[in-house]
Amino acid sequence: MTRIACLLTPSDPARPTLLRVALAHSPRVEDAGAGRVYLDASGLEGLFGDEPRLAARLRAAAAAAGVESSVGIAESRIAALAAARLGPGVLVVEPGGDAAYLAPAPLSLLDLPEATATRLSRWGLRTLGELAALPTAGLFERLGGDGVRLQRLARGEDPRPLVSWRPAPLFEESAVCEWGLETLEPVVERLRELAARVCARLGAAGLAADCFEWTCRLGDGRVHEGALTPAVPITDADSVGGLLRLALEARPPRGVVEALTFRARPVRVAPAQESLTDRSRPAPRRLTATLNRLVALVGADAIGAPALLDTHRPDAIALAPYPSPLRGEGRVRGGDRRDTRDASPTLALRRLRPPVPASVTLASGRPVAVRSGRLTGRIVAGVGPWRVSGEWWGPRPWLLDEWDVELADGTLCRLAHDGSAWRLEGIYD
Amino acid sequence: MAIPIESSPPPGWEREGIDGLLGLFPPGRLSEIVGPRSSGGSSLLLALIARITASGGQVAFVDGMDALDPASAAAAGADLSALLWVKCGGRLRVALSAADLLVRCPGFALVVLDLDELGPMPPSAHVRLQRAVEGGDTILIARSARHREGSPASLVLATRRLAPRWMGLRPLTRLAGLRSEISIFRARPHSLSPLGRGQGEGLKGEGWRWTLDWTL
Repeated sequence: MTRIACLLTPSDPARPTLLRVALAHSPRVEDAGAGRVYLDASGLEGLFGDEPRLAARLRAAAAAAGVESSVGIAESRIAALAAARLGPGVLVVEPGGDAAYLAPAPLSLLDLPEATATRLSRWGLRTLGELAALPTAGLFERLGGDGVRLQRLARGEDPRPLVSWRPAPLFEESAVCEWGLETLEPVVERLRELAARVCARLGAAGLAADCFEWTCRLGDGRVHEGALTPAVPITDADSVGGLLRLALEARPPRGVVEALTFRARPVRVAPAQESLTDRSRPAPRRLTATLNRLVALVGADAIGAPALLDTHRPDAIALAPYPSPLRGEGRVRGGDRRDTRDASPTLALRRLRPPVPASVTLASGRPVAVRSGRLTGRIVAGVGPWRVSGEWWGPRPWLLDEWDVELADGTLCRLAHDGSAWRLEGIYD
Repeated sequence: MAIPIESSPPPGWEREGIDGLLGLFPPGRLSEIVGPRSSGGSSLLLALIARITASGGQVAFVDGMDALDPASAAAAGADLSALLWVKCGGRLRVALSAADLLVRCPGFALVVLDLDELGPMPPSAHVRLQRAVEGGDTILIARSARHREGSPASLVLATRRLAPRWMGLRPLTRLAGLRSEISIFRARPHSLSPLGRGQGEGLKGEGWRWTLDWTL
């Protein structure tokens, strides 16, 4: 029988502390993110007593480490989480009682995607018990395998084993030079040896490093420190050795070196294709080189992933770093996108940046002709004005009257009047 | 207990609709979309970007005139975090160089070179880009207002404006969208396989037309 404990804290930055507390009590610990840590509580009676005592001990250990937390123990992760979140601080769900305990709990415990949550809400479901009571076949027809998985969770059935967490290994090597190294060449050679060992360990762990650091203890007690940051994460010892030599020649230690330490900051290099069914992505090394060349070509401020700013100001955009560190898990605004299968094709606007000043002829308050550096012609149809305004409470208020117009040659464009002048904002295409 | 009343029909693949059109672009080849202003070319590009990013692909958009409207892209369903936008500030040579760099970086499902009124691109650039993209899985699409004779593009789609769609009678109340026609101006062999036709049949697909309603 599996028993799982959940350590929950409202402060997610304190999660590493909780992980250390959990690892001190159980060899199998899962980092679930969002202030949650699960641990395998099976078979710990001989060490810490029964489950209420274990739960109390976990909470006390977290408090001693400066983290306010709550603890729940149950047979499934979801029930343990519910016990930690909804309980008085320490709560143990008796074996076999997960389904009954979960029945009145809210659906939000399942961390549902927004679309699924909306759908279940439209069905009138509020609690896990209501979801658990639905006919499984009907649920499968409507939500697919995901619906069945959610229902099993609602019933306290969680077949997924814990994903073990391990603290990050320390990639560091040291050497003591008994006779002291007075010239640069032997210092470089000893550091290259240490770098080769560190790189071999990185490679064995399937990692690379984006920063290498070294420390030299000098004979007079001073410390010489240095670091190098390669353009892309690497594990190649020869490359690291070459960069190391250049860095030390540029800035050598001033004194006799008695001890050396070399360490690497490990990073996981994402594979070009995460899984068999995923589409391939640019390999990080090639992508970094390409992005660097593009930056040299167009400038750093002209390349990135577009992001919409949280304002109604027209063309309020920013450039976010690419590739996105979110990797599709959380989205910048604009992620509220439609399902492309059901979406009708959307008419695109081509922006003119900056907007082109225009001279507009009016008749009865409506534009009838436009003349600008990009477009000139008679207006045969148009709608407006659509008044948009905002930020009147701040230092940069804005107000525009927008018109969508069709020119005699068929061009569809957007004109705007900011109270003093007309401008051509974009062309529909 | 709630009684579920919704059912989820399987997504349909419309052979004669936009899905069939978007399936035409051949990987590892240069394709072109040509057409005048307000003929739906940019909308077609955004629809393709939306489908590729929705399936997890990465897209690079080389923007010759800095004309991309991210709000339109998001409205079309594109995942903006999977889109690399390179703004070239109206410089043709910079745009061509950027596209050349990107098609040589494997892993992008789609590279768009949007030249609009900067184009058409020089013949030498055509050949260079075609050579660069060959042998990979990247779809390379150049968008320009005019087509240049002798281009090595495997697929050339021509867009034509039919009519805007307005809401309301006189007076009109709102621009609802645009109806445009997309036709295959040129199709070399192997570029029509997604429809199951045209494999090795030369120019048989030329003249196929799609009428699409773009909604604002």
